[in-house]
Amino acid sequence: MPSRRRALLKVIILGDSGVGKTSLMNQYVNKKFSNQYKATIGADFLTKEVQFEDRLFTLQIWDTAGQERFQSLGVAFYRGADCCVLVYDVNVMKSFDNLNNWREEFLIQASPSDPENFPFVVIGNKVDVDGGNSRVVSEKKARAWCASKGNIPYFETSAKEGTNVEEAFQVIAKNALKSGEEEEIYLPDTIDVGSSSQQRSTGCEC
Amino acid sequence: MIADGVEDEEKWLSAGIAGLQQNAFYMHRALDSNNLKDALKYSAQMLSELRTSRLSPHKYYELYMRAFDELRKLELFFKEETSRGCSIVELYELVQHAGNILPRLYLLCTVGSVYIKSKEAPANDVLKDLVEMCRGIQHPLRGLFLRSYLSQVSRDKLPDIGSEYEGDADTVMDSVEFVLQNFTEMNKLWVRMQHQGPAREKEKREKERSELRDLVGKNLHVLSQIEGVDLEMYKEIVLPRVLEQVVNCKDELAQYYLMDCIIQVFPDEYHLQTLETLLNACPQLQPSVDVKTVLARLMERLSNYAASGAEVLPEFFQVEAFAKLNNAIGKVIEAQENMPIDGVVTLYASLLTFTLQVHPDRLDYIDQILGACVKKVSGKEKLDDRQATKQIVALLSAPLEKYKDIDTALKLSNYPRVMEYLNARTNKEMANVIIQNIMKNKTRISTAEKVDALFELIKGLIRDLDEDLHDELDEEDFKEEQNSVARLIQMLHSDDPEEMSKIIHTVRKHILTGGRTRLPFTVPPLIFSSLKLVRRLEGQDESVSGNEASTTPKKIFQIVTQIIESLSSIPVPELALGLYLQCAEAANDCDLEPVAYEFFTQAYILYEEEITDSKAQVTCIHLIIGTLQRMHIFGVENRDALTHKATGYSAKLLKKPDQCRAVYACSHLFWLDEHDRIRDGERVLLCLKRALRIANAVQQMANATRGSGGSVVLFIEILNKYLYFYEKGVSQITVESILDLIELIRSEMNGDNAPSDPAADAFLASTLRYIQFQKDKGGAVGERYELIKV
Repeated sequence: MPSRRRALLKVIILGDSGVGKTSLMNQYVNKKFSNQYKATIGADFLTKEVQFEDRLFTLQIWDTAGQERFQSLGVAFYRGADCCVLVYDVNVMKSFDNLNNWREEFLIQASPSDPENFPFVVIGNKVDVDGGNSRVVSEKKARAWCASKGNIPYFETSAKEGTNVEEAFQVIAKNALKSGEEEEIYLPDTIDVGSSSQQRSTGCEC
Repeated sequence: MIADGVEDEEKWLSAGIAGLQQNAFYMHRALDSNNLKDALKYSAQMLSELRTSRLSPHKYYELYMRAFDELRKLELFFKEETSRGCSIVELYELVQHAGNILPRLYLLCTVGSVYIKSKEAPANDVLKDLVEMCRGIQHPLRGLFLRSYLSQVSRDKLPDIGSEYEGDADTVMDSVEFVLQNFTEMNKLWVRMQHQGPAREKEKREKERSELRDLVGKNLHVLSQIEGVDLEMYKEIVLPRVLEQVVNCKDELAQYYLMDCIIQVFPDEYHLQTLETLLNACPQLQPSVDVKTVLARLMERLSNYAASGAEVLPEFFQVEAFAKLNNAIGKVIEAQENMPIDGVVTLYASLLTFTLQVHPDRLDYIDQILGACVKKVSGKEKLDDRQATKQIVALLSAPLEKYKDIDTALKLSNYPRVMEYLNARTNKEMANVIIQNIMKNKTRISTAEKVDALFELIKGLIRDLDEDLHDELDEEDFKEEQNSVARLIQMLHSDDPEEMSKIIHTVRKHILTGGRTRLPFTVPPLIFSSLKLVRRLEGQDESVSGNEASTTPKKIFQIVTQIIESLSSIPVPELALGLYLQCAEAANDCDLEPVAYEFFTQAYILYEEEITDSKAQVTCIHLIIGTLQRMHIFGVENRDALTHKATGYSAKLLKKPDQCRAVYACSHLFWLDEHDRIRDGERVLLCLKRALRIANAVQQMANATRGSGGSVVLFIEILNKYLYFYEKGVSQITVESILDLIELIRSEMNGDNAPSDPAADAFLASTLRYIQFQKDKGGAVGERYELIKV
């Protein structure tokens, strides 16, 4: 049996509103797509079992609100992430420009132990739109940015048509697995033998 | 325990985390040794940390997330336990032995999740049980987080179309029922929170409530993600139930936020089909709710949807979206008497954007919206509120951007009426937007009527609406805006000369109101535009424009004269003189000798009476000479009169070098290559000789005053004129005179008193090189040059 701790991989999807974060997750986990735009509120995750080198892992994929006003509780859920997926819409320049902000915000808030080597994956979504004619961010430009940030793996996907989604998530899972983002090792100061732990509760007894 | 400091909170959070980690450590050990009893014991103790009341929502969320992560491991353990033969039903019973209710319910939800996955009981039975059990926590903060935990663990187990938990036909309905129930309970907890605790902490509580809002709103997100919630179910069940909860909770924060959530999480198609229901809820909200923002966001969403493709537009028509929104806005504005004017304008601007997107062909709708806006702002003073004026500019800019054509805006009767209510500054800003739009889209404005309307619209730039404003305006900015008016004037064009003439008259009428500061900017483009028309007419056959009323160059010259005369009061004589000369040249091209003569006369009068600055005189005299040189229609008498004057002015300039240069320039007035009528070698020579005399005088003056020779540059310049006319074959210019001149220059340069002058050396050298060059070229000209033996 694998260590229980490593059996669960936590992935966070970030990016501007409307780039298709929820759609990517739904396509990957449920193989479903809807053309309708529905904003996400707060943070929400779906899980998917993945097989990797004969071992079974649970991928916990966190979809987040792209609109700031729907992120009222902050981003405590970034904690313990094993991989962060940055998504932009290849048809919207601003969503690409903002990748840097998302990346930095993540590094600050999640404060991984080795920010330089923390695994990110960049996804340029919606390549299907208008047969690619409305595209404004070139693959070259995106790849150059990824290269400049420490060779971030890059995928171009269509959540609508399912193009490249599986491939992207395979790399996401693989990188999450080897991220080595170990949880802090906890050792108690004293070991109580048999006694019930002290109660420090306050407030009502519910 | 009031007003806990941030530091204290940090301390409590650390203590909470420490307690949580310690118990988690023992829980892990229990999990690793498959000790179910200890696992339950320590996980319950770990979860006890969530019973705290000391943390703000943000901090509590941090603690909660840690517990959440630990519970995932426990969940995996439960799953393994069941696969090892432990009954899930037994587990479900077992966890209920936990001493405290909060840890018990967290554990119950966790086992419940495994229970549903095991499919040993219908998902809905378990969900129903859990959502009921959660009623046990009535503390708002703890209750909200617990229910949000329930929502999260059940999220992927809700029976839905195509999901593995799909059962009978009614199970989707059960899922919806479950989420709605959880939502309702959460909203109640959330709303009730404001009434708990002392009144003096109300502000802090409201802040905390605001932070917690997403926990409640997330339920709506979950509903929107259930595939089985189709339009029918949304319309019949989901929306009415959600709205019922929203309206009945009578809480400002909840109502505002949840309305926004509904609009954002559900798809556009649903909104269109339920527009009436959604809009009808608005007047039922608390008066303090910011309904305008809610509606503005709804319209923004729908506008974007309409923009996504023409194929969706029929949906809008079918439900009469415009009428419904228009009606709803009217009601909201009516109901909220105290709504600030910027709110009103924001609403109309949103509706306008929507209408432009959905009904671009319905100018009557657009005008109707502007009209409603006018009605609302009328009776008030000019708008000075920054926010409101910003919104008005957005409102007025929208049709321009949409139609890329001022024509359309000019058709909107209420458009200028809205502009009336802008203060002078905003009026100008808007006028600038209009001009920029015309420039950008290269809009052709081709009738006098439209020009009139347009200038009325941009009058903020055409004349002073407010004296004070002008004083504070930066000169650069003023220049910038007047330059854009000038560019606009150049853009006005009609192919029909009659109409163009009318346009010129119309523009003149408007710009004459602009006063002395603006005329120097606006007159020149109008003059050039008029002269363009003159030249167009000149090409046409006289007989075509034979009748009385038609536009003739003469008539245009009359108005042009009047326009230039308007500058006399400013006064800007140099500008006027330049314009007269331009006109003279145009008259020349039209073969109107008397007119051309008159323009020259006007220019001369200005020169004599108004231009007193010696530098300005130099510039003007060269302009005069240059223009006169190109005139070919003058008879001998007129020409003599004008050239005589010009040479006279030249010789009377203040500085000798200026005199010299103007006089030798006059030589060109007597020799025109392209006109054999004007070839008077004698007078060419006279000018050059006179220039030489002046140059000599300059040299002598320099000797007398400074004891050294002046620059010989003047001589070299004259030499070049000699060469020019020699080359043209003017017989009066002889080889000897050229050689003498070169000799003179050389001796001046090598004289004892001559200052070294590299520029003059270079000038002479290149002049001599030119002579050599012409010799080398050979031919008739080369032969003439051969005679000059340097």
